[in-house]
Amino acid sequence: MLDHYPYYVAAWIFLCGLYGIVRSRHLVHTVICLCILQSSTYVLLLAIGFRKGGYAPIFADISPGVVTVDPVVQALMLTDVVVEVTVVALLLAMVVKAYEKGRTTSPDDLRFMRG
Amino acid sequence: MSERRRLLLFLFGAVGLAAIYCTGIRNLPPFGDYRGPYGDVIAQLAVYQRHATDTVNAITYDYRGFDTLGEEFILFSAVTGVALLLRPDKEERKRRNQQQSNPASFQDRAALSETVQVLTTALFGFSILFGFYIGTHGQLTPGGGFQGGVIIAGAPMLLYVAENFEAFRRILSHPLIELFEALGAAAYALVGFVALAVGAPFLTNVLPLGKTGDVFSSGTIALISACVGVEVAAGFMLVTFEYLREILAREKNEED
Amino acid sequence: MLSPALLIAVPLTTAAFLGGFRRWLPRSVTDVLALLAALFNLILACLWTHHALHVTQVYWFGNWFPRGTMVLGIGFVMDVTGCGLAVLTAFLATLALLFSFRYTDSGGDHYHPLMLVFLAAMSGFALTADLFNLFVFFELMSTAAFALCGLKTQEPSPLAGAFNFAVTNTVAAFIMLTGIAMLYATTGALNLAQIGLLLHGRHDRLVIAAFAFLVTGFLVKAAAVPFHFWLPDAHAVAPTSVCVLFSGIMVELGLFGAMRLYATIFQGCFAGTRLHWLFVVSGAITAVWGAVMCFAEHHLKRLLAFSTISHTGLMTLAFGLWSRQSLTGLLVYLTGHSLVKAALFFCAGILLHRFRSVSEPYLFGKAKSLAWTGLLWMAGGLGLAAAPGFLLDIGESHVTAQAPWTEAVFLFAGVLTGGAVLRVGLRVFLGLGDAVPTDESAKVREEPETPEQSPIINWFLWLPPLLCIAASLALTFWQPFANGAWSSAIRFMDFRSYAHAVYQQFTPAVILAAPKTPASDLIFAVVRSLLAVGVAFWAVYRLRIPRALRWPSHIEGPMHPFREIQSGHPGDYVAWLTVGMTLLGAAAFWLGLGG
Repeated sequence: MLDHYPYYVAAWIFLCGLYGIVRSRHLVHTVICLCILQSSTYVLLLAIGFRKGGYAPIFADISPGVVTVDPVVQALMLTDVVVEVTVVALLLAMVVKAYEKGRTTSPDDLRFMRG
Repeated sequence: MSERRRLLLFLFGAVGLAAIYCTGIRNLPPFGDYRGPYGDVIAQLAVYQRHATDTVNAITYDYRGFDTLGEEFILFSAVTGVALLLRPDKEERKRRNQQQSNPASFQDRAALSETVQVLTTALFGFSILFGFYIGTHGQLTPGGGFQGGVIIAGAPMLLYVAENFEAFRRILSHPLIELFEALGAAAYALVGFVALAVGAPFLTNVLPLGKTGDVFSSGTIALISACVGVEVAAGFMLVTFEYLREILAREKNEED
Repeated sequence: MLSPALLIAVPLTTAAFLGGFRRWLPRSVTDVLALLAALFNLILACLWTHHALHVTQVYWFGNWFPRGTMVLGIGFVMDVTGCGLAVLTAFLATLALLFSFRYTDSGGDHYHPLMLVFLAAMSGFALTADLFNLFVFFELMSTAAFALCGLKTQEPSPLAGAFNFAVTNTVAAFIMLTGIAMLYATTGALNLAQIGLLLHGRHDRLVIAAFAFLVTGFLVKAAAVPFHFWLPDAHAVAPTSVCVLFSGIMVELGLFGAMRLYATIFQGCFAGTRLHWLFVVSGAITAVWGAVMCFAEHHLKRLLAFSTISHTGLMTLAFGLWSRQSLTGLLVYLTGHSLVKAALFFCAGILLHRFRSVSEPYLFGKAKSLAWTGLLWMAGGLGLAAAPGFLLDIGESHVTAQAPWTEAVFLFAGVLTGGAVLRVGLRVFLGLGDAVPTDESAKVREEPETPEQSPIINWFLWLPPLLCIAASLALTFWQPFANGAWSSAIRFMDFRSYAHAVYQQFTPAVILAAPKTPASDLIFAVVRSLLAVGVAFWAVYRLRIPRALRWPSHIEGPMHPFREIQSGHPGDYVAWLTVGMTLLGAAAFWLGLGG
């Protein structure tokens, strides 16, 4: 169990995010819970790439033969962060517009906005 | 569906999901024991093949540069989407002109201290400089286009914090920002086309690699990083402007 | 031979150009440039499909060839299936851009860049051989889709649909990313062929867990039940040309993602097990549910959306059978369905343009003057019922030749969905029967997409549906298409040739003649069409049947709880998503561990 504790942390964050979306009463809260959901993938990816005793994969001050952690997951995470930011920006724009037009920020009212 | 029923449904699903996730986790390699070949192979190759000391950026802009092209256009579509969603329509403009002032008017809030205003405005220049530094040294140390672009895009926020709304609005509503955002995105694809023009596959690093440790090294990595920096900075400025457009208009009405 | 990178790079660059100069370019220039970029994609994809029929070539971006067994970069495997999907994508995108010529509200000229990015993303998704690149194109496709869905924002209702769409699909993307992380942790590689080789024969718990995560992510995009709730909401609010791309290719690409992963990675792991039956069951349930909900709808676009769910369920069923003939049937059925569905959406768009509504009760009898649109609509309805001549029947014959019991599911789904479309046609274009009882879904006021009502149906409005139906008819009689589908199915299932292509840069392909389907299937097809027409007439004249003989006596009452499930609340949809994932995971563990 202790061998894998960061992965369990990632799983817990994942479930918390999902719980938040399901129980949310405010659209902005839903979007932030989506962010939390994504944080779990950050934790998971970076934990996968970690190596005990490994240096950062920046060879500006260490020589290229040194043992480092995995740089690939860090590049994947960078993509992940950009994806999250963009989706959150779009979703929040939708929420702003929904408030402007429908004067409501509750998910329950989304169905009535459907007509 | 009622809230209780939704919660019960979710709890049933969550228990199952947790079980699947934990089953997967238990069979992963232990934490701290990274075995996989991909990262190690690239960590050994990147300095020799591309003269780049920051392996992460070498992966982002070269080995897996095609992914980053897609990622950059995700940002481009999101910025376009925000501009699309928040675009003012005719009814809205009419409504804004007739709108009553918010009772909790901006005049009633506590005045911002002058020290804060002066220092925050002075930090604007430093932020831009720092952003350029981070953005151009991506191939050497942690940083690169995305990070530098975000720092540069954050600099006008300092003007907003310092309540210099006029300067903030003038900077962010400039039509060239949209143009630069698109040009930054297109430039990434055009760097790829340059490789096609010399007969190599798309996005091959065909520029001279320079000396390891120099700012102008690692060929297209530095160039692509700069293009991405331009696009990200302009993109975030556009998104900020779209969100704050209505508040800025209200500020303008109150100042007049 | 031009580089396949141009399939992605040209639309993206054009999108950036159109986005940057949008203040200064007139609408006609933007329209034409976007159309030219899509046409370029179409031509290049056709050339590559022709090339792929002779040799499967692999293209490495950045010139990063594999080093030993380690794949360093991202590659495109130009096989017939991928290139064929790229052709279909480009064809539908060209017609969609043509349909939105000149008058359709372009949201301040943001529409064209987003459509081109959408096109590029879908083309890349079909061709890529890298797991994370698949995710990036999935997200690019989704982001452009969310943005396009929110185009009509002058009313609050579009925002509900776009919001639910975005939340559900983003949760799916993160679930997929978790699965990718698990696979990466185990294998240390991101290329599909390399992962397939490394995981060969392993069907332990980790692989099954990763399978559950990845397949859930893709099935949400493919709108399998119970992940399907976002699709009708999104279709009801998106502009017509965007709906065409959603139903025509985006949903099918979700299924294709699952197929690609199964063919490269999980096929070798679960070779001795019956894991693929998961898809059979899921597909059958989706087909039945979608068909029933489709028949109960009175909002034209939601009706067509539910029929997409149903037909994608049929395709999932065909995929689950996992044999050469069923995959051939799948590919043919996919093509036919995309073309017919696109034509139906275009016709709905014409109705929206002309009458400012897509509600069946409102449109009752109004479209009697639109004879040609009515004809295309009826043809589409017959096509959905897999009548002879629309490719769907050929696809179905191949699948039922593999597993005769699936005929029942195909019959049920085809008759109900085709019958629903024909019912709408009878009411709207011919004015037959009684006015339909109004219900909540039919009360939606759909915002028109064009600024003013015009009696003329311009050439760029009726040409797209005509071309779609014509293409579907033409491909039925063009034997090389069926042969190509057969060859591509063989090649798609063959992992060894895929891995060989990735490591040796190319693999020669085989062109074989497709097996002939029995002539009795033609009789089945005619029976299906007649049943669909009969169901349509029954629905239209139902209230005139004497009460004693009328069955079922009430429809709206019993349907109410089913409609309530489609609630519009994002929390509901995510709750159903977790339940679906649990069921899928449980089934995967039971089947994958040798149950």
